[in-house]
Order: sequence, then C-alpha cells, then structure tokens
Amino acid sequence: MTATPVAPDKPQQSPRPAHDATLERRLRARGRRGRLDVRLSPYLYISPFFLLFLVTGLFPLGFTAWVATRQWNTITGDGGVAVCGATCGTTDPSVLANFQWVLHQPAFWDALRNSFSIFLISTIPQIVAALVLAAILDANLKAKTFWRMGVLLPYVIAPSAAAIIFSQIFSDQSGLINTFLGWVGISPVPWHANTLASHIAIASIVNFRWTGYNTLIFLAAMQAIPRDVFEASVVDGAGRVRQFLSVTIPMLRPTLIFVIITSTIGGLQIFDEPQMFTQGTSGYGGPNRQFLTVSLYLWDLGFNHVSIGQPNLGRSAAVAWLLFLIVVVFAIVNFLLTRRIASAGGAHATKSRTKEVAR
Amino acid sequence: MKNATRRGFGVVAGVAVLALTATACSGDGSDDGSGDAADAGGQVTIKVSTFNNFGFGAPSGTRPGADLWKKYEAEHPNVKIEETVAASSDDARAAFNTAISTGTGAYDIQAVDVDWMPSIMAQPDAFVDLGSVAGTNDWLDWKKEQGTTPDGKVVGLGTDIGPEGICYRSDLFAAAGLPTDRADVAALLGGDSATWDTYFEVGQQYTDTTGKAWFDSSAAIFQGMVNQIQYSHVDADGNIIAGTNPDVKAAFDKVTAAALKGQSAGLQQWSDDFNAAFKSDKFATTLCPAWFVNNIRGNAGDDFKGWDIADVFPGGGGNWGGSFLVVPEQSKVKDEAAKLAAWITAPEQQAAVFAAASNFPSSPTAQADPTVAGKTDPFLNDAPVGTIFANRAKAVTVVPFKGAQYFDIQTKMADALNRVDVTKEQTPEQSFDQWLQDVKALS
Repeated sequence: MTATPVAPDKPQQSPRPAHDATLERRLRARGRRGRLDVRLSPYLYISPFFLLFLVTGLFPLGFTAWVATRQWNTITGDGGVAVCGATCGTTDPSVLANFQWVLHQPAFWDALRNSFSIFLISTIPQIVAALVLAAILDANLKAKTFWRMGVLLPYVIAPSAAAIIFSQIFSDQSGLINTFLGWVGISPVPWHANTLASHIAIASIVNFRWTGYNTLIFLAAMQAIPRDVFEASVVDGAGRVRQFLSVTIPMLRPTLIFVIITSTIGGLQIFDEPQMFTQGTSGYGGPNRQFLTVSLYLWDLGFNHVSIGQPNLGRSAAVAWLLFLIVVVFAIVNFLLTRRIASAGGAHATKSRTKEVAR
Repeated sequence: MKNATRRGFGVVAGVAVLALTATACSGDGSDDGSGDAADAGGQVTIKVSTFNNFGFGAPSGTRPGADLWKKYEAEHPNVKIEETVAASSDDARAAFNTAISTGTGAYDIQAVDVDWMPSIMAQPDAFVDLGSVAGTNDWLDWKKEQGTTPDGKVVGLGTDIGPEGICYRSDLFAAAGLPTDRADVAALLGGDSATWDTYFEVGQQYTDTTGKAWFDSSAAIFQGMVNQIQYSHVDADGNIIAGTNPDVKAAFDKVTAAALKGQSAGLQQWSDDFNAAFKSDKFATTLCPAWFVNNIRGNAGDDFKGWDIADVFPGGGGNWGGSFLVVPEQSKVKDEAAKLAAWITAPEQQAAVFAAASNFPSSPTAQADPTVAGKTDPFLNDAPVGTIFANRAKAVTVVPFKGAQYFDIQTKMADALNRVDVTKEQTPEQSFDQWLQDVKALS
C-alpha cells in the first residue's frame, strides 16, 4: 500500500457538517416518517371501508346478538332477559331462551328447508346458464355491446318490480302460464299451493335477475384467458365443446369460486322475491309456509307481526343470528371445497402448460 | 325509565346509519321544533301517510278523491301537503311500526287501521293528544271510544267506518233464477232477521243450479262473522281465548263447510286472482263494507255492469274496518299536523270524501248531510248508497274488542282458512289444529 490514499471526491466536496446534528436528526426522522408512511398509509387508505364496516356491519351484529338474549318488543323496547314461555313450557329467564323458542318453531324449520331448496333450484341452473351465455358472448358476435348490455338488462330492473310482474304471470287462476297451460290442455299448476312449484316459480324470478350479472363476470374472466391457449387447443384438434369444457372452465375456477360463494350468501338470504310472491296481504310465505324463507320469517316475526307484550324483536334477532351462523358455516365449507378443486385445477393447468412448452 | 335509555341506544344506531338521509330531510326550513312555523312566516310541509284510498287527494284513474289537500293549501298558503299512499294497510303498518319504535322517520300524520289501534293505545306517549284540536267535530260514540285512551287522551281522529251490506251480481242472479231487485234480494237473504244460515242456504241453491261459487273467499266471510263477536280471540283482560271460544269455532265450521260444498271461489283476499275475479263470473256475492265499493269498482272497471248492493247483512249489522289519523310526537310540525288532521276529519270533509269516493263518514252530522244521505252510485246500478250504508251503520250493535294479540291471531286464522279454501291441502280439522299451534306460538 504505497500509493497515497486518494480520498474519495464526494465527501471532500461536501463534507458532512458535523455541527448540524439537528438537520441530521431531521433527515433521519424524515426517513423514519417515510418508512412509516409507506407502511401505514395503505392501511389509512383502506380504513374508511373498515370504519364503515365497524359502524354498519360489526356494530349491528353485536347489537343484534344482545337483542337476541332479551325480551325485546319492536314498539315498547327491552323487557329483561328472554323467556321461552309456553312453547318450551318454562318461564325461567335465560339468555338462550329466544334461540330455544325459535328452534321449537316448525315455521323456522320450514323456512330453512325452503331457503335451501330455493337456493339450490336457483343457483345451479343459474351458474350453468351464465357460463353458457358467457361462452356465446365471448364468441365472435356482431353487435357485441348490444348483446352484452342485453343480458345485464334484467339486473337493472328493481327486484320488487320483477317480482310483481312474475307473481302475475304465476297467478293460480288468472296467470299467464296457467292460462297458456289451459289452452294446451294441461291442468293448471298450483304455483302458490304446491311447495315445489312455488320454489320453482320464485327461483325463476331470481334467475331472471341474476343470470345476466353472473354472465358478465364470467365473460370478463373468459376474456382474460390468453388466446394462445385456445389456439393450442385448436391445433390439438379440440372442437368448440371440448374447448369450453377442457380449457375455458378450468381456467375460470377462481371466478367460479367467487360466483358460487356470493350466490350462496345471496341465496340463503333471499327475501324480496318470496315476499312479493305472497298473494294478498295476510300470511307471508303462503298459508302453510310453502315459500317462507328464513329472512322472510325474521322480517315477518320482527316487523310485521307486532303484538304488544310479545318479545318479537328478540326472537327475530335470534333468527337473524342463526341465519348468520348458517351462512358463515356454508361460506367456509364452500371455500374449503372450492379451494381444493381450484388448487387441483391450477396444478393441472400449469402442468398442461409446461407440457405444451416442452412440446 | 330503564327502557327509554336502552331504546336510545338503538336510536343512536339508526341515526348513525341514516345521518345523511336525516339531514337531507330536515334541511327544508320546516325544522323548527315548536311547530310554530307559521309565525316565522316560513313554509310548512306536512307529510301524510295513508293506504288503499282515503279519498283525500285529487282523483286519478281508479282512485276517486275529493281533492281536499288542495282546498286546505288554498286556505293556508304557508302549508304544503305531501301524501304517500301505501298499497295495503299491511305495507303501511310495517313502515309505521319501524318508525315509531326507532323514534325516527314517522310521517306527520299517519293513517291507522282500526285493527292496529291496540298497539297504539299501548303507548299513547308517542302520540299527540288531539282532544284540543278536535273542537266541534263529532263522531259516533263507539268510533270516538276506539281512538281514546281509558284516561281520556284522544290519540286517533276517526275518518270512516265500514258498515257492511251485501254486494251481488244481478246478472248472475238473473241467470240462476234468483230475484235481481235489491229489495227482493234483501228479503231473499232474510231481511232484518237475516242469518248466516240463510245466507249459506241461498248460496247452496245458487251453487247447485249454476255450478259456480257463491262468495269470493272464506277468509272474507269469516272476517264478517268474527266482527259480530264482541270478544273473539282476546277477552277484556287481554287473555287469549281464541282456541277455546265456541263462537270462533262455530264460525270456522260454518264457513269451511260451505266452502267444501263449492260455495267459495277459493280466492285469497287481495291476491291478483282475487282482484281479477271482480270482472269475471267466478262468484255472485261479496261482503260489502262502504270502502270496499272503491275496490270493486277499481278491479272491475268503471263501465262494468252487474254489481249491485242489497240493504241486508247476515247475523245483524257488521262493521269492517274504518280508520283513524294519528300525529306522532316525533313530528317536527305537530301543531300544524294536528290542525290538518282535525280539519280533514271534520264532518264537511267526511261528507265530501263519501260523495267523491265511497268511505262512509263516522260523523253523524256528516251522515245526515244531504250530499251523503242522497248519494246514489251509478256503478252499483244507481243504488241509494247513502241511505243503505246509513241503515247498515244503524244495524251495528256489537263493537268487537280487539286486544293486543288480535291482529296476529286473526292473520293466522286467515292462513288456516286459506289452507282449506285456497290451497286445499288440509281438512278443516287439520287446519284448525295447526291454527291452535300457531296461536300457542304467539305467547
């Protein structure tokens, strides 16, 4: 090391002023603040949603849980800890009494059955139809935007408006469908009397509104599929149907999961359609609870039938919490099931892709 | 007041959520608490909630009306009235209950059906005492009683009453070989001593000859019968006696027996099928409270010929429905609202409403008014409806007691009747048993 050490230029040109400790601190603080800014500000940006969720989501949830333990009347308010009453043959106050009362009601079990039945009848055909429609819209059509707008049109119609029109179509005696069946010589279907028939009628209202919405989501996902995958399948000799089943659907899995989970939640909470399907003003959900759903039951219990002295809102809150738990359980089961399918599908997709590349 | 603070908690939640809406609603200058907006020279907006057709507003299409809001606005230039009309009393009731229980969102004047008066009487503090504004207005004694608390607070001002006659299709009667003149029809059904038994006997005759139904709906007929029982579902002390009351069971048995013999058209009240049937030949008679004439005309169409009314009612007179106006304490313009409620229920206005629409006045002065007493209805084959409904009102001897649970029990009864009559899925015995369970669940 003979060479005289050459001091680096920069420090010499602008020697760090040793005396300016305050500036250094300030700079360091700015750096810290910068780091803090980078770390925290994203949370700040998304916080309005969570604050709103806290007020409109979490608080009502907690409040409802509390009301569910009380003898709460819609009009006169709180009346102490809940009592199950004549239904369970006990007058002991208990925080679970409202839940006990609800679980003793045949109406609740009928409502649960109906909710599931309507959910299944509406969701499955709806997703299949939406997939097929999306595939058609994805093809090379003339006036694409017109057709794409067209499928969304039913979604824009207010649910009650759709339900009013459909309930006239499905009227037992003077309805369009039964009149038509009469011409053909088929005996009329009792749309409001037969449980299954009423579920089919309500599911058709749901499908009318939501199929287009799901179609557009599927369409957006389909357009994101790389075109070369399709080209490769064409080279492999796949026809339209084979392409749809072996390429499009596997590539759509993440979107399918989203649609299935949101449909499950929406389907179990179904309210407008069965409410508007009620003919007349007495007895929501049919005279023998043919199409009473859980959310319709909770509304009818809490807000429609209001007798002074009856803890109706407490019981309604209990129904609300039971529904919430059911939806959560279903969402989790759904998520686990579909995630398994999705990961399997994902691995499959990458494998086939590497194969393609290797080829 | 333990309850009040707890309820306050709920109000906070409601206010937090509805903050935006609330500010939007109260920002129009009518928000001065005391209700003395007139002195400030400001504009007062009074929001009114009604259902079906009260006949207060301007006539339009199938809704006849006396155009009274306009008259009041002309006399009070600082007042603006906005009426919101719900399709049915049930729709209005659900919204009303929510507004009263949360303490926000009630209209300044709320129309209230007599069947929900018990829930209002249970909390008179939420409503303005209208005794001082009622002034010289008069009502039938029993109508006044229904709107007054035991300690004399006037919570509701009576609008109309629902004295019932029998509406019938004279063309279908002629085809069946029955008399068509309304005096003869009244005699056929038993005149002043008409009973439900004669009504169903004549009905059987009609059904056997024509193969068609005699009445519209079991639930409607049952409603007519139960309104003649003073204590039907609930006794004076508020105990539920529905399941053990022999009168209720007897009425249920009679109407379901007639329905099973083909006398009922099997229509659920107020359904699309029910509404459509008034212009078809599906049934020949219906119970006809005064306000129901509006519905028949609306459903059948103004130029439909055939409907007529007989001055007779089975089992003595009957009153079905009739409403009240209440002013919630939470109203921002309650003084102005109370004045308007008193004015619109005054005899002159009640008479005007009957002349234009068909809601029969609850005020004896209005009933004696020549425009009421002399009214004939071209839709009902020029029937002298003024005298007929006055006679029907005089025949009412029983004022049914409707305790707190009445509304719910009666709704479940309608379901029970519809299971036999409309969906035809149960026998009367099965359906009655299920109703007993439903009533038990209400406790």
